[in-house]
Amino acid sequence: MNPLELTLGIMTAVGGFVDISELVFAAKAGSTFGYALIWVFAFSTVGIIVFSEMSGRVAAVAKQPVFNLMRHRLGLKLGLVTLAASIISNLITCAAEVGGVALVLNYLTGAPYMLMAVAMTAAMIVSIWVLPFKWIERAYGLLGLFMVVFAVALVAIHPPWGQLAGGLVPQIPHGLSTKEMLTFGYFVVAIISAVMFPYEVYFYSSGGIEEGWSPKDLLTNRMTAILGMGLGSLLAISILASSAQLFGPINVDPSIPGSAALEAAIPFGKWGLIIALLGMFFAIAGAAVETCMANAYSIAQFFGWLWGRHKKPWEAPRFTITWIVLFLLALAIVLTGIDVMTLVEFAILFSILVLPLTYLPLLLLSGDRQYMREHVNGPVAKVLGWFYFAVICAAAIAAVPLYLLTSGGNG
Amino acid sequence: MKPDGKINLVAELLDLPLLDTEGKYCGIVDDLELSGGPGKDLRLDALLVGPGAYRGRLPKWAMWIAKAIAGDRITRVPIDKVRTIDSVVHLRCPAGDLGLDKSERGAVSWIPKKGAL
Repeated sequence: MNPLELTLGIMTAVGGFVDISELVFAAKAGSTFGYALIWVFAFSTVGIIVFSEMSGRVAAVAKQPVFNLMRHRLGLKLGLVTLAASIISNLITCAAEVGGVALVLNYLTGAPYMLMAVAMTAAMIVSIWVLPFKWIERAYGLLGLFMVVFAVALVAIHPPWGQLAGGLVPQIPHGLSTKEMLTFGYFVVAIISAVMFPYEVYFYSSGGIEEGWSPKDLLTNRMTAILGMGLGSLLAISILASSAQLFGPINVDPSIPGSAALEAAIPFGKWGLIIALLGMFFAIAGAAVETCMANAYSIAQFFGWLWGRHKKPWEAPRFTITWIVLFLLALAIVLTGIDVMTLVEFAILFSILVLPLTYLPLLLLSGDRQYMREHVNGPVAKVLGWFYFAVICAAAIAAVPLYLLTSGGNG
Repeated sequence: MKPDGKINLVAELLDLPLLDTEGKYCGIVDDLELSGGPGKDLRLDALLVGPGAYRGRLPKWAMWIAKAIAGDRITRVPIDKVRTIDSVVHLRCPAGDLGLDKSERGAVSWIPKKGAL
């Protein structure tokens, strides 16, 4: 294990953890329910760590990414249903990220939102075309580390650490009306969905194959999943906690991404704001690239095409055409003028519906000794895997009713 | 696993990806061609690859959509061209020898071949 590679891998995972959905829901959760939803972030982070580690292990040992497994395990019919649902979910998520990046650039430069969406889509397409996989992953992930300003800002505003730590204990706040209880339930489901987005696992496992992982990389996989995602989650929790302290008491609803940046501006002034916006810009742009590539990976793997950005774009032509078309489709959705926050809500909703179908084949294969040999799921991975699978199934069942009953968490 | 041994067709072969001798993905086992009959041994003659092979596996309306999007091409891979089967099907020859690279070759003409590191 190369320590430099490992450190870079972990830092990349930290910088790439937060996307627009987590940003929005963390800030809204803090302002609406104080520290009471911190445990959901911590709980979901353990879930994404479990499934990411599993998908990386399968990539390293069986040399199979998630969608190859899905097709083989679910069969053509159910596999196609899952593929279609995941394409829609990832496409909406990608559109939300493209809109989010354009919005942040609009805040930073004052240039028109639509123009920024077009310019950034072009820039992201060029970046994937020019850079090989490792550089794409590293560039966006490491630049996303500007997001650390949110953790520093939280320390600077001297939060009530006792209350904040109390938020890690699973709880439902006392004295909520039925309506508020439903909204709380919707936030729980939305945060689980935002943290455990299926694209993260598609991208992570395909990335393992892009980088040629083998069983000797299993420790790197485990450390990257646990430390990278664990520390990344602290950034999301920092956004929630700052929002609880700064926005909640004065009834500010941080329902646009720009509001979260104010959390760094309050303690650090103009430079805090700029660094926060830069962090948001790179983190959201990274998520846009990941969602687009995850979608192209899924399609290429499902149909057995050549795929990967460790190859030159013309060496995997159908894969290349696919990710370019997907980026243009995401841009087209943004250019219809649909509100970014609406896209975020749809992305959350579709993702939670796809999650069970994403994780079931992964659980089955990582527990199959024929493929995984001595690297098959141990008792901890098995228990945690099935437990989280039950949780996401319950969340998927509850998602649509809660969305409709609470108008997308808006009461 | 060798292709001439006993094999559970659905659990161990159907929907597995194919990898040629150059390590390139070149399709999925979309269906199987079997021979034999009542009282005779059932034998696996070939793997069928391509959207046309979905016909027996999808409802008519879904097949109509698949055909509209991807066509109904089928490529036949004789079983003697299969070297081993594990989490993928390893072929004994390059994809081009079996006509499994036609779609990729068609798509490559749309892509400029410069500018990538």
